[in-house]
Amino acid sequence: MRHLTLLGFLALAAILAAVPVTASNEYELRLFMLFMIYGVIAVGLNTLVGLTGLVSLGQAGLFALGSYTGAILATRAGFDMISASIAAAVVAGLFGVLLAYPTVRVRGVYLAVVTIAFGIIVENVAIEWQSLTGGTTGITSIPSPNAFGVRLSGYAFYGVLAVTLFLATLGTHNLKTSRYGRAMLAVSQSETAARALGIDATGMRTLAFVVAAVTAGLAGTFYAFLNAYISPDIFTFSDSVRFLLMVILGGAATTFGPVLGAYLLTYLPEFLQQFALWQKFAYGALLLIVMFALPRGILGTAGQFLKRLRPPARGVDTAGAIPAEESLKPNARAQDAELVARDLTVRFGGLTALSKASLRVKGGEVHALIGPNGAGKSTFVNTISGFYRPAEGDCELDGVMLTGKKSHEIARIGLSRTFQNTELFGDMSVLENVIVGCQQRLSYSIVDAVLRTPRMRRQEAEARRVAIGLLAFVGLEDYANDEARFLPFGLQRRLEIARALAARPRLLLLDEPAAGLTTQEIDDLEAMIRRIAALGISVLLIEHHVDLIMAVADTVTVLDYGQVIASDSPAVVQDDPRVIEAYFGTPLDLSEKAEAVA
Amino acid sequence: MTTFLQYTLSGLAIGGIYALVALGFHIMWSAAKAVNFAHGDTLMIGAVLAVLGVDAGLPVWLACLLSVLAGGVFGVLLERFAVRPFLGGATSIGWMLTTIAVGIMIESLATMQFGGFSRPLPSPGVAKAVHIFGAGVYPQELLIPVVAILAMLGLRALQKRTLVGRAMQAVAHDKRAAALMGIDVNRIVAFSFGLAALFGAAGGVLVAPVVQASATMGALIGLKGFAVAIIGGITSAPGVVLAGLAFGIMEKFVEGYISTAAREIIGFSMMILVLLVFPQGLFGKREVLKV
Repeated sequence: MRHLTLLGFLALAAILAAVPVTASNEYELRLFMLFMIYGVIAVGLNTLVGLTGLVSLGQAGLFALGSYTGAILATRAGFDMISASIAAAVVAGLFGVLLAYPTVRVRGVYLAVVTIAFGIIVENVAIEWQSLTGGTTGITSIPSPNAFGVRLSGYAFYGVLAVTLFLATLGTHNLKTSRYGRAMLAVSQSETAARALGIDATGMRTLAFVVAAVTAGLAGTFYAFLNAYISPDIFTFSDSVRFLLMVILGGAATTFGPVLGAYLLTYLPEFLQQFALWQKFAYGALLLIVMFALPRGILGTAGQFLKRLRPPARGVDTAGAIPAEESLKPNARAQDAELVARDLTVRFGGLTALSKASLRVKGGEVHALIGPNGAGKSTFVNTISGFYRPAEGDCELDGVMLTGKKSHEIARIGLSRTFQNTELFGDMSVLENVIVGCQQRLSYSIVDAVLRTPRMRRQEAEARRVAIGLLAFVGLEDYANDEARFLPFGLQRRLEIARALAARPRLLLLDEPAAGLTTQEIDDLEAMIRRIAALGISVLLIEHHVDLIMAVADTVTVLDYGQVIASDSPAVVQDDPRVIEAYFGTPLDLSEKAEAVA
Repeated sequence: MTTFLQYTLSGLAIGGIYALVALGFHIMWSAAKAVNFAHGDTLMIGAVLAVLGVDAGLPVWLACLLSVLAGGVFGVLLERFAVRPFLGGATSIGWMLTTIAVGIMIESLATMQFGGFSRPLPSPGVAKAVHIFGAGVYPQELLIPVVAILAMLGLRALQKRTLVGRAMQAVAHDKRAAALMGIDVNRIVAFSFGLAALFGAAGGVLVAPVVQASATMGALIGLKGFAVAIIGGITSAPGVVLAGLAFGIMEKFVEGYISTAAREIIGFSMMILVLLVFPQGLFGKREVLKV
């Protein structure tokens, strides 16, 4: 696959270099330049659609914003094309941040409508703000392309566009294969799990929006210079649909798909002209056909086919891997992690799920939290890991207050968790899942990512070695290249543990890890928990399985009706009458409780 | 005072259309957590077919009835072939794009059949304007908001009193549980899309005498209908109707005092703001996220 990508970039460069030599007339060249402008928009939009899975149907608005910014700066302030395009990219980028903000609250179709509304607003501001934009007549007399005071020839302008398209494709490809792209994919597949691994979901979505906006802004200015004239009716909703279709048709999340899609959809209107009246109909029909026949796009489908033809080796070579004992070694800190929860109270409407629950996980111990169904165990877990806010009480890890922090911040402090219903990144490989967990070990910047600096490569290589070591730790090295969703259930649970460990936790929270496992698997799990504790990681185990708890737990805390009713060593708790009552009830108390409930 | 009343009355008319369209979005969303993104084109189908029917010599009432029914059939077909295959996917890109695609195709077909121009639908409702305290309106315009409110009350009666209505509510609440109770979820979803399309096409027939029918009339009304549904809270039928009427009145005032471009800017900005402050809309129910 890596060789194919390299080959793809060489082919792209060759095509971009060959076209101006072979183009027979100016019209052909101009059309190709239009394609390159659309290509820049499409590769940027791909970061948003392909990686974060968000739909923008307002890309024409950002394109218009870039176009107008560039045109106004060029006609009024005498900017040359290069500085105007940079300014336009900055302006569009700022609006990208603005557009990303609603994703904090809404997703999916709501977000799509927000972006559509944004496009309509931009279009109408361009009409209304006549003194600046020329209203419906638009902006004419945009100077011919120039750079640093020199007028660019047609070929030089072509060169600028070709280089921009090539670099945009390369840059977004590098971003995709870096920790940023991986985090975006993780957020789109399971936001909950991504946040629990310390990934700032909102930050990643904002970054994706900014990438899509900056490229659209750049492309907008180039378009204004190519056309020498812009008006509000050039940037409509149907253009936004077309930009999105470019990405989907070519293959969302693939490196060259958007470029291919942009090429096809630039030349398609030429081809469809022979259908005369049916042109628009054919366009709609094509969109429909793509959605049904090629939902992964041309290159996405081709890539899948290739994978089936020559499947990669399932396992991975563990030579050179960093063993878990080494990668999880505590970095020179005085004590083991101690979690203290004080008087946590959580209410859902009128229901009190947790009522003044207090708990202390001593450093380095395995602490089990048990209780009948509905006792508030999951609420407790979700509260300390930052997914729910307690109404009262707080909790801290080694004296660092967790309450009030966001879940990804809590993860960064050193609390990792698994989920009762496994939350894997299903479309990623087993190994990639664990590498996502390594996110916090990687510190290279976005510039490192886009440029693929040695610093980035070194850190990535190390994260990979750590991840392989962790796979070996849980015994999954032979499945490393499988897609996570195809793993058998028992192995999915192990993968979740490996992924949580990759985040280098000081406290590991296991939410019903034995649920659905076979007896043999539970025995393996027991051994694994012991090995984890031996590494100096405190474990909070939420479980139903009594044998497992009695075997591994140092302390057991029992929850019932949201209250802690016992907390002691397993042997003591086992004989506690209140615990027995909570689980089995007693004839006498049963009637009392029935009254209390009524 | 006259101007004020004039704007309010004409605003209620267009607002009634938004309310009808938004009610359709409410019905579809409740049933499937998906909508026909080109729902505005259902409205266009209603209007354009009615005009073509009158052209063909049908009496106005029959042309209107048939075109509304045709709209309903369109809704059912669209659900079956463009929406259902993509339900349950991880993202909403699928049905969003397929319904947009169908919208593009329908619009281009309508342009070919109807020509690229606008035509009014003859109706007794616009024969003569009536004057209320100096404000001139057509009876047709007064009729529209009344129909919108009746549609909302009718929907409520359907949901409270009939088996199919209760099944709709069950499906809206929890698809799986509804299926386990023996409800044919697919049929309820198809029925909901059909009903939504009936409302949309009826809106088209109602508005055609006032604003003229054209192949492209649906796009913007559809988007505004969705905006209204979001503002009112897509889970609340009375909410979207109220928001629709208010949105229509707001539009007329902005249009009257500033400009049509400002109307779109303010309208859609309002939608974004409401969404940021009340993600579930002004009257909608909050959907709890469970980890």
